[in-house]
Amino acid sequence: MTPLDLRVGDSLPEWSLPLTPTTIVSTAIATRDWQDVHHDRDIAQAAGSKDIFMNILTSNGLVERYVVDALGHDTELKGIAIRLGAPAYPYDTLTFRGEVTAVDDGIATISVVGSVSLGDHVTGTVKVVAR
Amino acid sequence: MSHERIMAEAERIKALGEASESVAPYPVNQATIGTWMDAMGYDNERFRGGEAPPSMAQVWTMPGLGRKRPPEDPLSRMTEFLTNEGYTAVLGTNCEQTYERYLRVGEQPRVTSALDSVVGPKNTAMGEGYFVTSRNTWYVDHPDGQSEVVATMLFRVLKFIPRERA
Repeated sequence: MTPLDLRVGDSLPEWSLPLTPTTIVSTAIATRDWQDVHHDRDIAQAAGSKDIFMNILTSNGLVERYVVDALGHDTELKGIAIRLGAPAYPYDTLTFRGEVTAVDDGIATISVVGSVSLGDHVTGTVKVVAR
Repeated sequence: MSHERIMAEAERIKALGEASESVAPYPVNQATIGTWMDAMGYDNERFRGGEAPPSMAQVWTMPGLGRKRPPEDPLSRMTEFLTNEGYTAVLGTNCEQTYERYLRVGEQPRVTSALDSVVGPKNTAMGEGYFVTSRNTWYVDHPDGQSEVVATMLFRVLKFIPRERA
């Protein structure tokens, strides 16, 4: 594994993911999360939600994918810390932006925001092994 | 008074430490990794060769359809207590995972759960509530009896009294 040469202020390319019911349902099940609000619209709406919505394990997984696709497939992740905001519903688009905010002791911190039409769905930091 | 009861229950559960434990129902396996990558629209050759994506640590110990977490789970106990005190609604707010190393196909991790903190009552945009933070630790047990920490997670939920709808 080659350590990444990252500098504070480096930007990651923006990435947009259109969300469909299949996106929300398949990722919920693939993360072994069978909570009904992630796959049953009637139940989600009865609970006061507009529609089914993305589960947290998927928000985490997409943050992982975004950073690793941007920095290289052998990127070594040390941690993901996220704060959850606006729900991610089908027929919306989830757009990720990222920037290197610190490089200390061989660990780089990438600040990541994933936004939908209602605002920020996920904001947080990803720590990766760097030079 | 409700607040004193809530904080006393929080202290009691916190003192139990890593009070519950669940073993992954199935070992880390390529079919589940591949299905996860397909759903995420992600492909990475590294995860077709024996390693698992790090954020999947939590996936392996999800209870599964029709199965429940152990009744002694500290987060469940604390959230049930708050429900009974009128804080009926729940919203996940923060998730902080650390990875010591990536899991490998064939390993069967277990996870422990502890109550980390209960903070409140706070007035939030959602309504009055308490922030409940749990701490999970994933272990792989080795034949020589050693237990290795492979990942950790701090998970925070807001348990709140929903505002009346206009």
